[in-house]
Amino acid sequence: MSTDTPVKDDKPRRLEQSNPDYDPNIVVEAQNLTKVYRDFWGRQKVRALQALDLEIKKGEIFGLLGPNGSGKSTTIKLLLGLLFPTSGRALVFGKDASEVSKNERIGYLPEESYLYKFLTAEETLDFYGRLFDMPAKVRKERVNALIEKVGLTWAKRRQLKEYSKGMTRRIGLAQALINDPDLILLDEPTSGLDPLGTREMKDMIIELRDQGKTVVMCSHLLADVQDVCDRIAILYQGELKELGRVDSLLKVSDETQVLAKGLTPEAYDDIRAAVAKHGGEVLGIDNPKSTLEDLFLDIVRESQARPGHRTSRADGSSD
Amino acid sequence: MVVEEFPNFLEWVGPGLLLLLGISVAGAILGIFLGYVVASFKHGPFEAFYVVAKVISEAIPDAFGTSPRRILAIARLSIKEAMRRRVILVTFAIFAGALLFGGWFMNAGSDNPDQIYVNFVLWGTQLLILLMGMLISAFSLPEDIKNKTIYTIVTKPVRATEIVIGRIFGFGALATALLALMALISFAFVWRGLSHDHEIVDSQKVSAFYDIDPETRLSNRGKRVSPNAIKAAETTFESGHRHRVELVEDIRKPDEKQPEDTSNIVSQTIGPDGQIIYHRVIVIPTAGHTHRVTINGTGDDATVELGPATGYFRARVPVYSDGIQFFDRQGAPNKRGIDVGKEWGYRGYVDGGSRLAPNSLSKADFMFSDFDASVLGDETILPLEMSLGVFRTYKGDIEKRVIGSIQFESVPEDPASQNRFQSDSIVFETNEFQIQTLPISRKQPGRLIAPDGSTIEQGVFDLFDDYAKNKKLNLVLRCEDYNQYIGVARADVYFRATDDLYWANFFKGYLGIWCQMMVVIAMGVSFSTFLSAPITMLATIVTMIVGFFTPFIRTMTQEDVAGGGPIESLFRLVTQKNMEVTLETGIGTTLMEQSDNLLVGGLSTLTYLAPNFAQMNFADFLTYGYSIDSQRLLVAIALTLAFCFGLSILGYFCLKTREIAK
Repeated sequence: MSTDTPVKDDKPRRLEQSNPDYDPNIVVEAQNLTKVYRDFWGRQKVRALQALDLEIKKGEIFGLLGPNGSGKSTTIKLLLGLLFPTSGRALVFGKDASEVSKNERIGYLPEESYLYKFLTAEETLDFYGRLFDMPAKVRKERVNALIEKVGLTWAKRRQLKEYSKGMTRRIGLAQALINDPDLILLDEPTSGLDPLGTREMKDMIIELRDQGKTVVMCSHLLADVQDVCDRIAILYQGELKELGRVDSLLKVSDETQVLAKGLTPEAYDDIRAAVAKHGGEVLGIDNPKSTLEDLFLDIVRESQARPGHRTSRADGSSD
Repeated sequence: MVVEEFPNFLEWVGPGLLLLLGISVAGAILGIFLGYVVASFKHGPFEAFYVVAKVISEAIPDAFGTSPRRILAIARLSIKEAMRRRVILVTFAIFAGALLFGGWFMNAGSDNPDQIYVNFVLWGTQLLILLMGMLISAFSLPEDIKNKTIYTIVTKPVRATEIVIGRIFGFGALATALLALMALISFAFVWRGLSHDHEIVDSQKVSAFYDIDPETRLSNRGKRVSPNAIKAAETTFESGHRHRVELVEDIRKPDEKQPEDTSNIVSQTIGPDGQIIYHRVIVIPTAGHTHRVTINGTGDDATVELGPATGYFRARVPVYSDGIQFFDRQGAPNKRGIDVGKEWGYRGYVDGGSRLAPNSLSKADFMFSDFDASVLGDETILPLEMSLGVFRTYKGDIEKRVIGSIQFESVPEDPASQNRFQSDSIVFETNEFQIQTLPISRKQPGRLIAPDGSTIEQGVFDLFDDYAKNKKLNLVLRCEDYNQYIGVARADVYFRATDDLYWANFFKGYLGIWCQMMVVIAMGVSFSTFLSAPITMLATIVTMIVGFFTPFIRTMTQEDVAGGGPIESLFRLVTQKNMEVTLETGIGTTLMEQSDNLLVGGLSTLTYLAPNFAQMNFADFLTYGYSIDSQRLLVAIALTLAFCFGLSILGYFCLKTREIAK
């Protein structure tokens, strides 16, 4: 990910100056954030978000988890100013979410890539670059770097209407990164991507975090969230049900896991005996299984390295 | 041509700006009030105050933060989007189809084919371009919101101003390009449709013309020929008409003015009394035009060559008076002339007296305050054009036209001490329904009158150097027939200066359409920030209708109409009371009248909010061949800018305060 062309360096300072309460380590803050959808006559239709209090720190990957209709997208839309809160506040970089200036440092990938289908990839990125008031030279460099980064160089002059869903997601991500944002909001980032694309997307999210950027993503694909997120919030019917670090939330404190290599079946009995001696109970001893994702990725990589050869697993069982 | 307004930009702009300021202030107050009411429902009355204050306080940084690059980016996107919709293509296809087949239905041989052609292309272009402007602008933003493509725009540092102005610019640029193309094609269509050539049937030789019987003075088609025609011939039938070509005998005394155009002279001989006898070939005008004649050779070998049509494609430059003043039979000033009953109110009438009261003092004074030789091209003959209405109280000899007269008077600064010039009356026959031209000699016989009314000197005086020495001139129009009336309006009598370039005038006419188009696009974009696409279209159409009929609606709301306003009228309909019946006084009637006043007041206000398209419509100028003066153009452009500005602000606040996502 190319980050050599920051849009404007003085922005954090300016924001700090304009808001004395602004803590640069808190990128996103929701205070009692509530959203009620109403019909034309003002009658309450649905309470999409209920008094959400949240702080997202600089440099973390934050996941919003929940089933459909739990308020994940509503939260993101409130943070972006696409929706106005019924009560409470949403602050981004210490500024109210409805302020346009905050968008200078934000990148947003919507749930579906709502892009103009009649533009080519190059035109799309150039257009969004213009919206950031980028000079032509900078714009051109960033457009080329991002198209290469998301692997669409071969299709950069094709209209988006000819793109597959995965390709559209990639260009959607590229447009979210056009301004080298400090905060990236990703709505279902892996939806529509094949396993390879999913892995690349996840790698890219981690890479962004490593560059010091803050990523907020919402998803209902739990594995993806588990793989990349540092902290998560679980929402259900508009209410915050759980909030914390992924590793501590998933840790099963009363179970122990030992990973060993090169043991024979006879050694299993010794292990069982040792566990029994310490008053423990063996829940199972087995060979660990690779994930289907790892298997799929291995096959694809091998096929890329040796075109024309049928790949086979080490134990001799082929597909 | 009916001209009711004679705008002067510098005089217009001051009150215009005040009106704009008034509307802006009223709009701002109304907007704040409505915003507060809506916010109160959503957030409660106290929080609403902060919400409204926040929106207002953010408007200024938003205005300063507006970036031309972002506006251009959105404009470019709008152009691409509109191109993709193919509305432009369809519009152009309809236009091209109309021109391709429209020519079949236009009669180039009618009385004024140029009017028919120009009218056709102008109205066609206007209708199509306004419709197209409305379609591309009304659907764009609602579609963006529906498709959610707007999400990726508003989450960038894009101000609502940029979204609104960018769209107006983009659609405006595209529609301008299309309009320019349509204007060029229209011009070519009119030009090609009307240009044609004739030849003389059978032989081009003058000697082959047939003789005119001096007794009957009829052509071989039985038409009356010119009084001095001695031979005639006919041209070929082209573009639905043919002309009669006549060889006329033009006898002039040696001290008389000799013909300026010598190209159509076949022979020139000296008569027995020393007078010069010219034999000239002329083409009798048909279908609103004639052709230039060139004679090649002399005597029996002389042949006639007819040039292209002349008389079409005029852009007359009228020098109007600065005001018209009517006087009644007693000579008292009168605003609208003599009342001749329920006639069209555009013209005022002057009467010619009657046998019982022959000395009517009724007249119409046209006051020129800048009557200068430089304005009228320093010519010796000044063409005075008139299009008069006639109101006859008896038919009499229907062939006989009503007689009128004009007279020139100087306007001394101090009539009590300064002498004044007064010309002799120039008597003419009125030619109603047509523009008639009186060639006025610069040297006018008349007299110099002392302040006490006595004649100091009689003689021939110069219109510019004597009569209008102080650049002020009074033209007096009278009716000279008993019991007949001549109707006239300010725009009906004018001196004609050198014509403007026709093509330049043609494009000025299209500039008027451009102004209307830009206002429609701005309306479409602005309304679509808070309305759905079909409702936006409906709102734009309603505003357009109000705009086109602004003068009518305004008159309707300002005049006291018998039968009351809409509610009272409905009441009268239901209770079967006619317009003249006085309603019983009481609370009900008062309530009805007050409600009507409120409705009529609202309608009147609406006419000030809706663009007055009549001020941007120059179709009549082109159709009737008048130059569009720069003052009118400036007013139209200023109005367009004002509306685009106002509508952009409306669009900004509506887009800023609406939730983009649902």
